Amino acid sequence: MTPRLQVRGLSKNFGGLQVSSDIDMDLLPGDRCALIGPNGAGKTTFVNLVTGVIPPTAGTIRLDGEDITGLSAQARVRRGLIRSFQVARLFRAMTVREHLELAVLEREGRTFRLFASVRRVPGLEEEVASVLDIMGLEAVAGTRVGALAYGQQRLLEIALALAMKPKVLILDEPAAGVPHSESQRILDAVDRLPADLAVLMIEHDMDLVFRFAKKIVVLAQGRLLCSGTAREITADPRVREVYLGSRANAHRPS
Amino acid sequence: MTAVATNKDTGKPAGKGAPGRLGRAVRDHAGVPVMAALGLLGFWLFPEDLGLMTRILATALYVLSLDLVLGYCGIATLGQAAMFGTGAYAAGIAAVHLVSDPLVLLAVGGVAGGLIALVTGALILHAHGLTLLMLTIAVVQIVQEVANKARDWTGGSDGLSGIDPSPVLGLFRFDLYGRTSYLFALAVLLVMFLVARRIVRSPFGLACRGVKEDPLRVQALGGSPRRYLVGMYAIAGVFAGVAGALTAVSTGIVGLDSVSFTWSAEALVMLVLGGTGRLYGAVIGTVAFMAIHHILAASDPFHWMLFIGLFLMGVVLFLPGGIASLGERLSGLLSRSPSRTAEGDRP
Repeated sequence: MTPRLQVRGLSKNFGGLQVSSDIDMDLLPGDRCALIGPNGAGKTTFVNLVTGVIPPTAGTIRLDGEDITGLSAQARVRRGLIRSFQVARLFRAMTVREHLELAVLEREGRTFRLFASVRRVPGLEEEVASVLDIMGLEAVAGTRVGALAYGQQRLLEIALALAMKPKVLILDEPAAGVPHSESQRILDAVDRLPADLAVLMIEHDMDLVFRFAKKIVVLAQGRLLCSGTAREITADPRVREVYLGSRANAHRPS
Repeated sequence: MTAVATNKDTGKPAGKGAPGRLGRAVRDHAGVPVMAALGLLGFWLFPEDLGLMTRILATALYVLSLDLVLGYCGIATLGQAAMFGTGAYAAGIAAVHLVSDPLVLLAVGGVAGGLIALVTGALILHAHGLTLLMLTIAVVQIVQEVANKARDWTGGSDGLSGIDPSPVLGLFRFDLYGRTSYLFALAVLLVMFLVARRIVRSPFGLACRGVKEDPLRVQALGGSPRRYLVGMYAIAGVFAGVAGALTAVSTGIVGLDSVSFTWSAEALVMLVLGGTGRLYGAVIGTVAFMAIHHILAASDPFHWMLFIGLFLMGVVLFLPGGIASLGERLSGLLSRSPSRTAEGDRP
């Protein structure tokens, strides 16, 4: 099976500082993978490299077999490599429905229609309604996002990703800022994403990671430390050392 | 307890949505007929002031073009007069040398305004905030200087005169009292208003509003913010160009002040006064500003600017959404009071 996302030898140097070195990763259709690591392990850099925000120093990235290393961030989005944001980045003055309409229209490349009414674009209303239904956001469809509870904003982030019909979805701390008691709602929403989609979640909350991921990848000091199932990861002495070590030295500036 | 929770979850957005939808329906279907009716009422009430009122209508179209740029894209500009003046001069020069049909002249103005907006927009819209503001000022100054230097075409500081349009549709002659001018301007404003409304409600308009809120998020959705900005800037240029041509056709003269920094700034004042991002705010603001200007300048020619300033400060401080938000606030108050009594037992 061709991996949805294939990363080989991905490296990034900022001058003499090597923040990512020689990372390999495969995401297959249907994968639910978590990327973990202590602070400063290079998780954010990795996401930025894969999504095309910053260019890599070396390495290749393939999406469904196609080399996308040289493509812009927008071109990657249009090919189905989608990310959600750690801090909800939404259009505060626009309603939930308008967000989803814009996402669908962008995906279909219909945003340069000047004289068509949004309400009359064929199929749009049905598709938006189905996303609202899947994510349980119908009740707030007409509400401006600025007036929405934070947990619902996080749900909308996932709903937007769903409306973009991704092949690979990178969720950057989808439950950040959400009370622990409500994080299950976010996970439920993630569960409702299409089964053949490959999802990579970046997360600090181990409890959430263990509930979500079938495969876990550990990053430390810009390198791939190990990968495996939850049980293998918790049993790995190197993982313990990285986490305990960084905690034991937490008072030291690193 | 659960009853309270459901009330909180579903009742609140519904309560907020219902008057909004009603208000929108009223605005959708009543707005343009009301504007037309008020325009015709003005025609009967003030037959002596048709010249002024024609200028107000053309200016309203110009301020409307600024609302497309500022209110729907968040582009801060002090250079909208570059498009207005280019449209006015293009129509004026065409009228002197080529054609006299007023509708063709409006088209010439619109194309000229749109082209200059497209070219300058593509050059400057990579910048943001203060830098962009400076660049828009630079553009309007350059256009003004070009108009000043090209005396043979524009008449320089003497202005361009000799614009003598033929009857509208070959039927309605431009008369001495300005009746035809006024009704022509009213019709043009209403048609362009409907076109603008259509555009802001299109998928393109939705994307522009997204860019105004957060360009990087639009990028993450796969869109290219700059293309939307340049696109809307050019469309607004067409509107401003038509407004300029309308002024040229109805007054028969084009001066250098139509491509001035001051004229750009005045449009901004009128728009802020009326309220941005609403379209009809542009019309209300223009009517309010120019009517007050006219009345005050007649009664106190030395201090009228002071009163305009005080009025603007009052609106900005106490009505941040502009005069147009007054109606929404009132309807909000009216619709909130019954729902409040219904939810009275909640806390």
